[in-house]
Amino acid sequence: MDLSFGPEYEKFRAQVREFLAARKGQAPSSSMSATGSGDDMRRILDWQKTLVEGGYVGRTIPREYGGAGAKPDLLESIIIDEEFHAARVHRGLANQGISMFVPTLLQYGSEQQKQAYVRPTILGEMVWCQGYSEPEAGSDLASLKTTARLDGDDYVINGQKIWTSTAAEADMMFALVRTDPDAAKHQGISYITLSMDTPGLEVRPLKTMIGSSSFNEVFFDDVRVPRNNLIGEPGQGWEVGRATLMHERNMLGNTTQTETMLQNCTDVLAEAGVLGDPTYRDRLMKLDARVKAMKYHSLRLLTDTLKGRHPGAAVMITKLNGCQLNHDISALAIDAMGERGLLTRGSELVRDQGAWQAQYMFTLGLIIGGGTAQIQKNIISERGLGMPREPKPAA
Amino acid sequence: MDFGLSEEQDLLQQSLRGYLGERVGLAAVRAVVEGESGHSRELIAGLAEQGVTGVMVAPEYGGSGLGLLDAAVVAEELGRAAAPISFHSGAVMAPLAIAALGGDAQKSRWLAAVAAGSSVVSVAFAPGFSAGGVWDDSVAYVPDATSADAFVLFVGTGAGAAAYLIPADEPGVSAAQLQAVDLTRRLGVLRFSSFEAEAAMRLAGGDAAQTASRVLQAGRVALAADALGAAERGLEAAVEYAKTRKQFGRVIASFQAVKHMCAETFAEVEPLRALLWYAAFAWDERYEDAHATAMLLKAYAGEAATQATTTCTQVFGGMGFTWECDMHLWFKRAGYDRQVLGGPTALRAEAAAIRLVAAPHATQRR
Repeated sequence: MDLSFGPEYEKFRAQVREFLAARKGQAPSSSMSATGSGDDMRRILDWQKTLVEGGYVGRTIPREYGGAGAKPDLLESIIIDEEFHAARVHRGLANQGISMFVPTLLQYGSEQQKQAYVRPTILGEMVWCQGYSEPEAGSDLASLKTTARLDGDDYVINGQKIWTSTAAEADMMFALVRTDPDAAKHQGISYITLSMDTPGLEVRPLKTMIGSSSFNEVFFDDVRVPRNNLIGEPGQGWEVGRATLMHERNMLGNTTQTETMLQNCTDVLAEAGVLGDPTYRDRLMKLDARVKAMKYHSLRLLTDTLKGRHPGAAVMITKLNGCQLNHDISALAIDAMGERGLLTRGSELVRDQGAWQAQYMFTLGLIIGGGTAQIQKNIISERGLGMPREPKPAA
Repeated sequence: MDFGLSEEQDLLQQSLRGYLGERVGLAAVRAVVEGESGHSRELIAGLAEQGVTGVMVAPEYGGSGLGLLDAAVVAEELGRAAAPISFHSGAVMAPLAIAALGGDAQKSRWLAAVAAGSSVVSVAFAPGFSAGGVWDDSVAYVPDATSADAFVLFVGTGAGAAAYLIPADEPGVSAAQLQAVDLTRRLGVLRFSSFEAEAAMRLAGGDAAQTASRVLQAGRVALAADALGAAERGLEAAVEYAKTRKQFGRVIASFQAVKHMCAETFAEVEPLRALLWYAAFAWDERYEDAHATAMLLKAYAGEAATQATTTCTQVFGGMGFTWECDMHLWFKRAGYDRQVLGGPTALRAEAAAIRLVAAPHATQRR
């Protein structure tokens, strides 16, 4: 057991601090949105460029594709996260293109595809959305029906995607489509990229329970896409798509954010005058123990990764527990506020611009999205505890 | 950065698991459990040879001189095995108290005997007792009350706190067993009648109140480790059973209702391991948050382990409710770990008193 980073890494930490001290004035505030006003957008993209050039975004991406070409070093990335978090400085864009598509592309893409997509994506100039789920293919994703039929040098896509976040703002989509209807369920799927401008493609916003339109339905009517837009081989889509999902689940398990949320929740309890109340204190301490446990759990998993050990079933609980914990923290803050806890952004008397209600509902969305809690429990019991799959019903 | 057990700690865990599996199997546990004393000197001597009782005793007294993190590794294994030994008191709190406060004669008499397994020393907290004077009083819920050879007794509070090391065979000292659910670790009442502790029995070498608090947190961490062991072994037993038990023409482990019970239990229990490692390490390193972390850990562990063993008992169906099924050993083990040295709600209140004062951000902002 050793919780120190050692002198080499402390030197690196000093470099990060130096960078932050010199440049943080240029950083956008956390309330600025990449989909907000033109000025906000410009400022975020400028900051993103600064971060890419400084090696704080796309750090391990090879130089020829626009990254900093650093060798992967988990401790360095932890130090960067810690320092940005402590200085409360915008950590750069964390969209699906950067967090999920680029790592997948680097693993499976052709040289030409990497040249075309990686640089603009990490700079935030090319925005991606993920076309996986369909109305009839949710938890059972491999039953997806959107087809891509080869016609000359093009694939012609027909079908529908759903729950597509940021489809309205995206320039590009990475999608799973069925290229071989005769192959077995998992073998007939391919992973393809396409421009959102392609004729025959229509995006319809879906309003979420929060009231915003953060995701969409996407309809494909004879959408023609060049065949060399395929990532990997035809029929390899399931494998490629699963790599992307692994990146998504990693993205959903960040414990520093949860710690900040618990601190803010404590502030809400103090302001509501209930911090001396034994029942509230009990709930708060219960959450405190869980936040600590998940924090050290992630350090444990990190150590396994550093030592090249597979953490086994322990890694499968981070999404399930992390999302539930964030949801429970929001619930406590809302309870402490009483009626005020119901208020949403823009209302008179609202606290934190309605962030607690928004978080409470958003985290419910996260419990469902990216593999529902129930699917996570199947994964834990089957792959983690070695329990058999539910037998298939007789056809 | 290396958050986890060392190679030596991994080895300690493996060798102890091997020994317990071979020599302290559930048949051996049941033999002790069904006896009246609930105590086997032979079993304790065997564990002592494996370094169990001397894990925290300094090498000059024949122990291994290791830390609480190592003791936590041991406690988890003992919890898995449901081994009949009050490890948290006899091998953690007692030697820590004697080492911190004892004189040379006390240390060489008792620490060496604890490490060798030839003596069992228990620990009791009696804040209502006076330091000095004549005692006509009793203290309840004392581990190994009827089998221990000596007792470390923390009396009084604050500036009036003191500690004594009292041999069980002193005139005026008597003990009786209480009938409690966990038969692997017996509790009792320790009675004093017209008893005047001699100066030679005083553990006078340091601050008794501070030591009492530090010793108490170590005991709590050890009980949490035991609870983790009981919960994980209970889950393993339930999963194994579910893989063989057939109903409706298939093994019950293939039903989602059963799988999700097991997955939820795993998700609830597994993060405890990292929190346990941190809490023990923080205690060893005397980190500022060590005491509050020990309390929060034990509260979480007590609840998670009782929930886990409750759920796992249900996986066994009607068999789970029988004496013959081993699940109740871990169920009761978890119950003991939850109640002894502070239950979950009391511990969280205690932790809140520390953490909500130590976190000024909570009150600064309007």
